[in-house]
Amino acid sequence: MSEDSNPAATPTPCEDIQGDGRWMSLHNRFVSDSKGKEPDVLFVGDSLVQLLHEFEVWRKLFSPLHALNFGVGGDATHHVLWRLMNGELDYISPKVVVLWVGTNNHGHTPEQICGGIMAIINVIHQKLPHAHTLVLGLLPRGKSPNPLRARNASVNDLVQAEVASLSHASFLDMDPGFIQSDGSIAHQDMYDYLHLTPRAYQRVCQPLHERIRSLLDKHAP
Amino acid sequence: MSTEENPAAEPAPVIDVQGDGRWMSQHNRFVQECKDAEPDVLFVGDSMVQLMQQYEVWREVFSPLHALNFGIGGDTTCNVLWRLQNGELENIRPRVVVLWVGTNNHEHTADQVAGGILAIAKLVLSRLPKSKMIVLGLLPRGEFPNPLREKNAAVNNLLRASLPQLGPVQFIDVGGSFVHSDGAISSRDMFDFLHLTASAYRTISMTLHELLLQMLEEMPQERRALLV
Repeated sequence: MSEDSNPAATPTPCEDIQGDGRWMSLHNRFVSDSKGKEPDVLFVGDSLVQLLHEFEVWRKLFSPLHALNFGVGGDATHHVLWRLMNGELDYISPKVVVLWVGTNNHGHTPEQICGGIMAIINVIHQKLPHAHTLVLGLLPRGKSPNPLRARNASVNDLVQAEVASLSHASFLDMDPGFIQSDGSIAHQDMYDYLHLTPRAYQRVCQPLHERIRSLLDKHAP
Repeated sequence: MSTEENPAAEPAPVIDVQGDGRWMSQHNRFVQECKDAEPDVLFVGDSMVQLMQQYEVWREVFSPLHALNFGIGGDTTCNVLWRLQNGELENIRPRVVVLWVGTNNHEHTADQVAGGILAIAKLVLSRLPKSKMIVLGLLPRGEFPNPLREKNAAVNNLLRASLPQLGPVQFIDVGGSFVHSDGAISSRDMFDFLHLTASAYRTISMTLHELLLQMLEEMPQERRALLV
């Protein structure tokens, strides 16, 4: 699917509809932050990345890995694509880029969302040829079974397949089993059936931390 | 401003455009919580309320007061009004209701937003005649000065003037410390220049906690029985 025909793969900044310019402020801050730092790991994505930074688990598991967090709530693939193409990768050389985005791509098909994620992996590889991109699987959402769960699962299947043939990227399934036997997701895991509670973050971040550690160990000095 | 003239005082549920029904799921859960719990304090509002429950400060400071949290991210005054009219005030008798909403009312003027908040306060006081209320002022937002800061400040000024006339309602503005001398807000206080970090919640919680304790003490249980 070419970039022209896939809105999810067309770099697009977020329009300031509300009037306080917060999206651009965040982007600018990430660019200027990156000028002074030398992260080994870069997290980039939507609110699931952004909120991670606010809880204890970030300080315990990811700060020690020299990680930066470029998450922006509400971002879809085309927003992340724009950010990475417009400065957020220009001043750093992380060994691992952790990418978690796609759940906010409303109106896009799983194929389009996958195309958006692949476009991001491509840009990262072009700008940081020595970095490994770890793509995180989209989580189920909503209290009960609904079309977005199916959509996210399809995206994961497509991305996992496409990434299998790449040496500079890999996929990690982030769902430890949030869907209970009755098909529901507990609010103790997702307080609004989308965003993770601190205890859920603890659960998903253990395997993530291990995978990042092993990627860092493999990375050629 | 009457309800007919003020769109911010029109109760309205959130329409499920995304497709996973999360808003209604949260509302239904709150209605169920009303049946199961006996809170002394009820927090209701938008993400400023909702996110507070995910930080340690909630467990440390507000849970011990037997507080329930009915915050939903993105909610406007219309959404909160609808929720409170449709079950979220049933079966409970909180002694204090804490209301924090208004920053998401993007379609409305400052006058309309203040009117919406007043409408919610009137509803709460009429449904819970023995309760008191705390209404939190809207925080400044955005990294630099912008129209939304002015709008939120205007809402606060209107509330400051008109809330006390409704009855046992206290207005508190906890936004004072967030704007620095150069007009900027730090991401150490608001990680996205809107939502508070753990440390910022700690700062505002001290003021809020003190006021809550004061209010709860003013209405000892024994005296409440006499008022029934």
